[in-house]
Amino acid sequence: MISGYLITILIIIVIYAMLAHSLNIITGRAGQISLGHAAFFGIGAYTSAMLYTEAGFPFWISVPMAAVVAGIVGALLGIPCLRVRDDFLAITTMGINFVVEAIFLYIPFFGGAMGIGGINLPKWFGREMTKPEYFILILVVFFLLILMDRRMGRSWIGLAWASIREDEQAAGAMGVDVVRFKVLAFILGSAIAGLAGGFYAHFLTFIMPQNFGFGQSIVVLSMVVFGGIGTRWGPIVGAIILGILPEVSRPIMEYRILIYGVLLLAMMRFQPGGLLGSESILSKVFRRTVYRLSSSE
Amino acid sequence: MLWQQLANGIAIGSVYALISLGLTMVYGILRILHIAHAGIYALGAYVGLLSFRLLGNFWLSLIVGMAGAAVAGYIVERFLYMPLLHLPRIAPLIVSIGLFTAMEEAFRIVAGPHTLAYNARVGLGDLSIGSFHLTETQILILFVTFAVLIFLWAFLTKTRTGLAMRACAQDPETSSSFGVNVSRIIAINFLIGSAMAGAAGVLIGVYDNQVWPTMGSIPAYKALAIVVLGGLGNIPGTVLASFVVGLAETFFIGVLAIPFPRDAVAFVAMILVLMFRPYGLLGKA
Amino acid sequence: MALLEVAALSKEFDGLRALDGVSFTAEEGEILGIIGPNGAGKTTLFNLISGIYPSSAGEINFQGKSILRMKTHQISCLGIGRTFQIVRPFQNLDVETNVLVACGHRFYPSLWKSTGPFRQPEIVKEVQILIERAGLRPYAKQIAKNLPLGFKKRLEIARALALNPHLLLLDEPSAGLRFEESAQLMGLIRQVRDQGIGVLLIEHNMQVVMDLCKRIVVLDHGSKIAEGSPEEIRSNPLVIQAYLGKEA
Repeated sequence: MISGYLITILIIIVIYAMLAHSLNIITGRAGQISLGHAAFFGIGAYTSAMLYTEAGFPFWISVPMAAVVAGIVGALLGIPCLRVRDDFLAITTMGINFVVEAIFLYIPFFGGAMGIGGINLPKWFGREMTKPEYFILILVVFFLLILMDRRMGRSWIGLAWASIREDEQAAGAMGVDVVRFKVLAFILGSAIAGLAGGFYAHFLTFIMPQNFGFGQSIVVLSMVVFGGIGTRWGPIVGAIILGILPEVSRPIMEYRILIYGVLLLAMMRFQPGGLLGSESILSKVFRRTVYRLSSSE
Repeated sequence: MLWQQLANGIAIGSVYALISLGLTMVYGILRILHIAHAGIYALGAYVGLLSFRLLGNFWLSLIVGMAGAAVAGYIVERFLYMPLLHLPRIAPLIVSIGLFTAMEEAFRIVAGPHTLAYNARVGLGDLSIGSFHLTETQILILFVTFAVLIFLWAFLTKTRTGLAMRACAQDPETSSSFGVNVSRIIAINFLIGSAMAGAAGVLIGVYDNQVWPTMGSIPAYKALAIVVLGGLGNIPGTVLASFVVGLAETFFIGVLAIPFPRDAVAFVAMILVLMFRPYGLLGKA
Repeated sequence: MALLEVAALSKEFDGLRALDGVSFTAEEGEILGIIGPNGAGKTTLFNLISGIYPSSAGEINFQGKSILRMKTHQISCLGIGRTFQIVRPFQNLDVETNVLVACGHRFYPSLWKSTGPFRQPEIVKEVQILIERAGLRPYAKQIAKNLPLGFKKRLEIARALALNPHLLLLDEPSAGLRFEESAQLMGLIRQVRDQGIGVLLIEHNMQVVMDLCKRIVVLDHGSKIAEGSPEEIRSNPLVIQAYLGKEA
């Protein structure tokens, strides 16, 4: 039987993969820098937690609501922020992260520094779900998100995002409503981050403001950058590798923040496309191997 | 009492100016948000403290701290930012964030997670006139910061290099066609900005008698808020915004005693100003 | 009613007057040349018309309506297409996809419709016609950044035409092109004009300007110093001085 420890890691990794994927929509697909993504993770987690512990809503309502609330906040914040120059966006998203964390920390309604506890795993068929079952659940949701991403990639929205990413001004001159599509990416990314937050809250059973600060935003950003901004599987690979490594290696766990920092630095400096990017060493080795295999037949 | 708070506000504002100017100067010339600048600020404090422990003299430690910070700034510019200028601006920004994160951790790993004491004394003693009281460190701050600001002003307005720097911030392409060595100007820009940040680090380290690994975190976003508030890339704007924030913090917390986190004042001020002047106090489109 | 009416248009940057009280009109099916020495404000004029930055003063009326306060995409949706001085196709997208982008606003008006696939047969058909006319059919699946300069320029025009524009702003289309490429491009521009589309043409190549344009507006240091037929402009002393003065 699979050990409880392994299942816990797997669940956390899927949640991170969801989070990284959601940041990728904003940063990788639409090309907008967001340095405060953990704020929406937190908004989702707290929404779910409060609906469950204070209002008695079950998991099956509290988690979708987490996505909805995070999406709405994303819209409210996104609409003014995305109209300004992208440098301002970096600063405002950082600021949003600080403010949201401060709200959770200082306003007693949200439990303050102690956070919120007593959030349980969902119930179904009259009993509480087991961890392996929870894993299957979020894995299914995750694959649905990937399917949605594939659909978006072929859609006009996906093309509009690509044109904005390539050249915002030229896109506008070709009739693309740049602000509308940026906001759309922001709302979608925030909503999915909120969803991940809901899953997180119900799994960890307690949440604290510190889980959703700037440091967490950097962790998620590292996963996306390491794996490959803008690619479909890059952020997921990034989440898996950076999620597993600290667990299997004590020294890596000790120095993981340093590693995240150096990773961001080194990747952007030398391999901005990330591990799965088209210019990366991995991609080149992969292509060369495929070429050699196919030409030897 | 009011004069006291005024003096406190000016002292704090002047240190903010020292930190924020480097940030706005880098933005003005490279259009990069140099988040790692706060790491250089903390590095200045650590280097200054180390040299104080070795040499026992405040002034020497100040100079060494500034020099260390300047060198670090140069390395960042040459090896991290310049090679990335052809990429979209998200790239140097992420590099900067990664560097800042790594620097804070490096401080923690190398110097330990605990707060270190930096009690440098110059033998000046405090100044007391009635209920108006300036500590020795506050006098030092006012002296050093104003000396640096005056030097910067003179440099930017009176020297050829300074004028070249201002021209580059306006329009690097045209400037280079006039014979300005843009690459050299960028390097000097970083050297000066980083040295000022290093000085700020030393001054704050001495003022609080504390040097610790994450001392750059709050200045990281506060300096950003100040720079945006004053107008990204605008030097007089940044100086003005620094004093506005310094005085606002002191008055709201010290005089009006509003129960509001002190460090949020900069951010709130920024948002308020942006609502009426979207490019900052003195910024232009 | 003129297709485009520009009246007393001015733009200031930080105290520098890039454009000062410029007025002229443009008509459908006509190529209007905009010439002047470097720094005269020609590209600034285009940027104001296409809404990339706001004007400081004056009027811009398109088909009788003011477009002063409109955003870039609204102006392009109304029917003003443009190319750029330094050519800017969507570098990592192929030729066909580049042109598809400009079709978006017509075929996907609502958010719901926008979730539909962008490569629909009727749109692709339109795009292929445009690509054919620009002479780029063999390169339809080529990535834009790998194209030679001349093809990129044609791609930009095809892309702008996908907007179904009434007015086309062309910014130095022949810059950097060899003689034959330039001639081919001019053929394309004539085709565009013959379709009834109005063209504003910024050019430094005097041969091209004199050949193509029915009327010419001359800018210098932000002001209009002359307007008229090619013959009138050629012999206008102010114009000669403006150009010679720069070379002296």
